[in-house]
Amino acid sequence: MTGVIARRLLGSLGAIFGASIIAFVIMRVLPGNPARLILGPLAPPSTVHSLYRQLGLDRPIYVQYWRYITQFFQGQWGYSYSDGAPVRTLIGERLPATIELALFAFLITMLASIVLALLVTYRRRPIADRIVRAIAYIGFGTPPFFVSLILLIVFFSTLKILPGPEGRLGAQVTPPATVTHLYTIDALIAGEPGKFLEAVEHLVLPGVALGMANFAFLVRLLRANLLEVSREPFITVVRGKGLRRWTAFRRHALPNASLPTLTAGGLVLGEFLAGSVLVEKVFNWPGVGSLVYEAILKQDFSIVQTFILLSAVMFVLVNLGVDLLYAVIDPRVRVRSVVTA
Amino acid sequence: MGALSVLERMRGLREDRGAPAGVRAPQAATDDADGPFALSVRNLRTVYELGHATVQAVREVSFDLRPTERLGVVGESGSGKSALALSILGLIEPPGRVGGGEVLLNGRNIVGLSERQLSSIRGREIALILQDPMSALDPVKTIGAQLHEAIAVHNPQLRRSALRRRAAELLREVDIPQAERRLDDYPHQYSGGMRQRVAIAMAIANNPSVLIADEPTTALDVTTQAQVLGLLDRLVDEHRAAVILITHNLGIVSEFCDSVSVMYAGRLVESSSCEHIFLGATHPYSEALLRCVPNPERLAEGPLPAIPGFPPDLSALPGGCTFAPRCSVGRELAVCHEQTPVPELVEGPSGSAIVECHFARERAARGSR
Ligand SMILES: Nc1ncnc2c1ncn2[C@@H]1O[C@H](COP(=O)(O)OP(=O)(O)O)[C@@H](O)[C@H]1O
Ligand SMILES: [Mg+2]
Repeated sequence: MTGVIARRLLGSLGAIFGASIIAFVIMRVLPGNPARLILGPLAPPSTVHSLYRQLGLDRPIYVQYWRYITQFFQGQWGYSYSDGAPVRTLIGERLPATIELALFAFLITMLASIVLALLVTYRRRPIADRIVRAIAYIGFGTPPFFVSLILLIVFFSTLKILPGPEGRLGAQVTPPATVTHLYTIDALIAGEPGKFLEAVEHLVLPGVALGMANFAFLVRLLRANLLEVSREPFITVVRGKGLRRWTAFRRHALPNASLPTLTAGGLVLGEFLAGSVLVEKVFNWPGVGSLVYEAILKQDFSIVQTFILLSAVMFVLVNLGVDLLYAVIDPRVRVRSVVTA
Repeated sequence: MGALSVLERMRGLREDRGAPAGVRAPQAATDDADGPFALSVRNLRTVYELGHATVQAVREVSFDLRPTERLGVVGESGSGKSALALSILGLIEPPGRVGGGEVLLNGRNIVGLSERQLSSIRGREIALILQDPMSALDPVKTIGAQLHEAIAVHNPQLRRSALRRRAAELLREVDIPQAERRLDDYPHQYSGGMRQRVAIAMAIANNPSVLIADEPTTALDVTTQAQVLGLLDRLVDEHRAAVILITHNLGIVSEFCDSVSVMYAGRLVESSSCEHIFLGATHPYSEALLRCVPNPERLAEGPLPAIPGFPPDLSALPGGCTFAPRCSVGRELAVCHEQTPVPELVEGPSGSAIVECHFARERAARGSR
């Protein structure tokens, strides 16, 4: 067990190191002097130079990297070039919106793909199968911002059944009392079902837009996986023992198919948490994605840099969690690790 | 194939059993359908409907199995043996389906029963053992859990402690050492031979009257093969089950079975006692199969003969006898290519047989080889 964990941790550290190099290098290869960017075009050269030294930009590159990475993990993410606020505060304010959207998108994506995959594999509906494959195909090939626009045109402009791009709540609605920063959950805690519905309504379209491509990926994966597992000889054996088809499916095919699903789910959640710049932008979602979008426009690279590394860390953490869960669920991994540990 | 010669194995032929039911004429069998048979299969037909073609995996197969009789079904791979086994159990999955016929299990036709009715029969009256011990057990469930399941599904009143006791008993019965402790192991912690023992334990858990074993030892090495077969032999006797043993190893048939049916292209082309087949098979295909068994006394004569050509495409069967294109007797004969032979009851020097061959009578009289 400890062997597996150690190996996974090492792999995760490698991934984070890679992302940190990318984030770091991006900053170095961009044209222009960061000190000048921070201070603006009117600041005198001497001030620019002293900030340059203060930022450590005159030190050797590995010193700069070390300083950057240690400060990142201490939570010192520097200051926004554009308004001088700490990057940590800026991202911290936006993170709950992104997390809420990510969790919601994750929930509906997983539910939809599991239900549809079950429908076409267990119920064996060839027509449903063809429809699911078509949806998956379209979802896979369509960029999220385009899906966002279509959804808005259909459900907001035309049908008028869901709110438009106005963020997490309608303009007149005040957020529920803060506990978790997630409006849906806070509304429930505060006992305000109206606000809960309002929050969910606002989550639907961006959630679907965000989830579409991954839904396409997941439903295909689950379908193939369930088909494969349900053709395994042990399913025939189990039915030969006298289990009904559904019982055999539920007790033996689903648990075996759940392992790859878990991995895929981890990838998807990691991706959602990393945020979608374009979907958030289209829906005016006040999350990290919009923050980064604005930061890119303003050349506010300290935010972009932090975002890259932070996304990588979240992605890796989620998948590390999945790997550990995997080791707990799958006896083959569990036992092998006991043997090798 | 085992290394022993067929002749050598024949000396060990089981002699203590009555005339195998397989040789009865189909009409006679229909008459006493609720009679002494554990299993009667009548005109069973199974097809796989693939968009572009229809594979006829089992073509109007009929046979009978007495209580405690052991029938060997042999044939090249692709001849429909597994499809026959699954059809009997009602476990054919789309794109396949049973297209007709009857399966009389202890006198009751089970073709067309609902999944609920079938599931109460499977495992209790008729059980299944599959070939591959690697994939026949669920890798994420303990051996104990899988044994519990086999018992509990037909004994819902049993409590956990009783299930566990019974599961340990079963493991002991199939000679797994430290049974109690090994219940909590997972399949990958068992060797191939041990897994096959577990599969046998699950199959006999509810004392079925018929056991279908689809190549139960094919994936095992020779030593393990012999042990597993010995175990099966003992348990089948103890539990008084009739067995259909599917195999392509004629050595195993001669050791284990009372009667044998040779399957070719979805049909049983020769059914008889083991004595008849091994002393003088009537059908040219059975004869050819026997010639492919290694014989130590003749190894010096050169490589083993193989049956020339390939089995026919089951989705585009030729007219006439399906074996004709490969047959040493009928390859050139018009009658074999034009007319489909009907099953014929023939008498040979060592018993009767049902054979589908235009030359069955002459060949049987001659005693073949
Ligand atoms: N799931 C399936 N789909 C399509 N064809 C199948 C399927 N299973 C078996 N068949 C066909 O049925 C025929 C008999 O197969 P099988 O019963 O497995 O033969 P055996 O067990 O004698 O090797 C073969 O031609 C095979 O191609
Ligand atoms: Mg087979």
